[in-house]
Amino acid sequence: MYEMLCAGCGHRTAMMILDEIIKEKNIKEKIIMALDVACCSLLIDYVDYDAIMCAHGRVLDVTKGYKMMRDENIVISYMGDGAAYSIGIEEMIHSARRNDAVLAIVINNGLYSMTGGQVAPTYVGANVNAGVNVNVGVNVNVGADVNVGANVNAGADIIRPIVVTNVDTEGTKLSEPVSNDNNIGFKIENIIGNLPISYFARASITDKENIDTAKKYINTAFDKYIKSGGFNLVELLSPCPTNYKLKPVDMVNVINNGWSKVYKIGEIVNNV
Amino acid sequence: MKRILNGNEAFAYGALAAGIDFYAGYPITPSTDVYEFFEKYGKDYGVKFVHASSEVSAINMIMGASIAGARALTVTSGCGFSLMQETISYMAADFVPSVILNVMREGAGLGDIPRSQGDYNQMTKGGGNGDYHTIVLACSTIKDCVEFPSIAYELSEKYQNPVIITYDSDIAHTKEIVEVPIRIKNDINKLSYTLTGNINNNPKRIQNIYYHDSDYNNTLKNKYELIEENEQRYSDYFTEDANVILVAFSICARICIDVVKRARAEGIKVGLIIPITLYPFPKKVFEKINNCKKIIVVELNILKQMRMDVEYFTKFKYEYYSINSMSTCETVLDILNFIKEHK
Repeated sequence: MYEMLCAGCGHRTAMMILDEIIKEKNIKEKIIMALDVACCSLLIDYVDYDAIMCAHGRVLDVTKGYKMMRDENIVISYMGDGAAYSIGIEEMIHSARRNDAVLAIVINNGLYSMTGGQVAPTYVGANVNAGVNVNVGVNVNVGADVNVGANVNAGADIIRPIVVTNVDTEGTKLSEPVSNDNNIGFKIENIIGNLPISYFARASITDKENIDTAKKYINTAFDKYIKSGGFNLVELLSPCPTNYKLKPVDMVNVINNGWSKVYKIGEIVNNV
Repeated sequence: MKRILNGNEAFAYGALAAGIDFYAGYPITPSTDVYEFFEKYGKDYGVKFVHASSEVSAINMIMGASIAGARALTVTSGCGFSLMQETISYMAADFVPSVILNVMREGAGLGDIPRSQGDYNQMTKGGGNGDYHTIVLACSTIKDCVEFPSIAYELSEKYQNPVIITYDSDIAHTKEIVEVPIRIKNDINKLSYTLTGNINNNPKRIQNIYYHDSDYNNTLKNKYELIEENEQRYSDYFTEDANVILVAFSICARICIDVVKRARAEGIKVGLIIPITLYPFPKKVFEKINNCKKIIVVELNILKQMRMDVEYFTKFKYEYYSINSMSTCETVLDILNFIKEHK
């Protein structure tokens, strides 16, 4: 299934969750998939729904235009973190401000994957020792380009173009993931959390337990969207073993033990 | 019903007559009258209106609404039109119909708001990235502003390609008496390629990467060949016996009509060609010319953008002259004197 994707790719898991929910709810005939470019767009040849490949970052605008004309349809706005929170952040904010009827799934892996693993604003790194201890790397020289320690075993340096103010001594790896620091990563709840949105939840799609949770949240988003519209967003912390140069199982550990400490898992906004 | 309307207001009524369902836009002079019209009166006519957060948002909402079967509209000028190019390119490649009005501004960059025709190349050669064209209709009268939206939607739905309507700010702000047609309701289910959900177990896709379809290139190529063959539109005045032919559109065309009248009164054989479709360029009209030796292209841009097309499509076989500037129209007498000097 979805054989064009890499081994261990989170898109496969996310799509299988969506496929299951759509089958369970028997709503296939109403679904429109609005997909972003790059890895998301690979799905267009596989999905059994009407689908649109949107310009990069413009999924929510296309969704808005479509949904205003055909309210009876269910538009799944499916995008990566680069589309949702970087090039498309303006659309995200204004769509949330208007509380548009949106059912958005954001696949957050911290990277631009199709182009070879350049860092996105959401990047938190993945230092892994023997696949167990996760370091959310923060090697920082304030005021200069920052080299966030993404020196994975395979040894890929990733230059992060954002100054992180949490200063650690140069070269020292933190033994514990930084969990309370707002300067690590890019948390969309800090931007749209106070806007009049319907629902925002974050889950990871790594192991069975987390995938079940993710499915529960997506189900809730579907129900709220179908019942009363509103802006419903589920962000999925998603593995990209290819670009982190990790084994899929190590990638799971990075997310479970590292990213999940930086990015709060759970139902973060749930308004009636 | 007859009304006194400026070009922008006339266009808004024309769009209503064409059956538009959806408007998304962002204000920019000199096109804002249309935005304000739909903001104020859209709901009276059942037109859904969105204040988009940018031109980029607006054009993508248009794309979404068009995919849903709507006759969707956005209206912009200059830099706003540039911001829309990525999605216009997507729609051309995706076979999605749409209509965009570009009321031209002067100059490059921010430029200014007087009359100008500097967007000629951007509109006719594509404007965004990649291999594509948009059909471009140029209005020269307020009557055109009322009538062209209906033609534009028909063309865009027939060829599944964006259509640009354009005029300069003199046409936008000139008032004339026009007949306002009756509003027609668009049926959002009439097109076979509209996305409705996978009802017949045959999922439809709006995409422009075809990983498995080698025939896509030919399909796209055929689209533009058909357009170029079938959709050349123009007005021509006294071209058959003319020694000198003027070529002009929008405000320049109106001035040139008077030039032809005066010249003919003085016994000078001057003709005029007004391209209505800037793309496809109406090269067929030049095949009807018999005695002409000289062509004068009157346009409002410093780079002589339309003259390049005129030269190319007439195979460089005439003597060519330009009367052009960025935003200053020559008067009827000036053009007449120019003709006499170059007789």
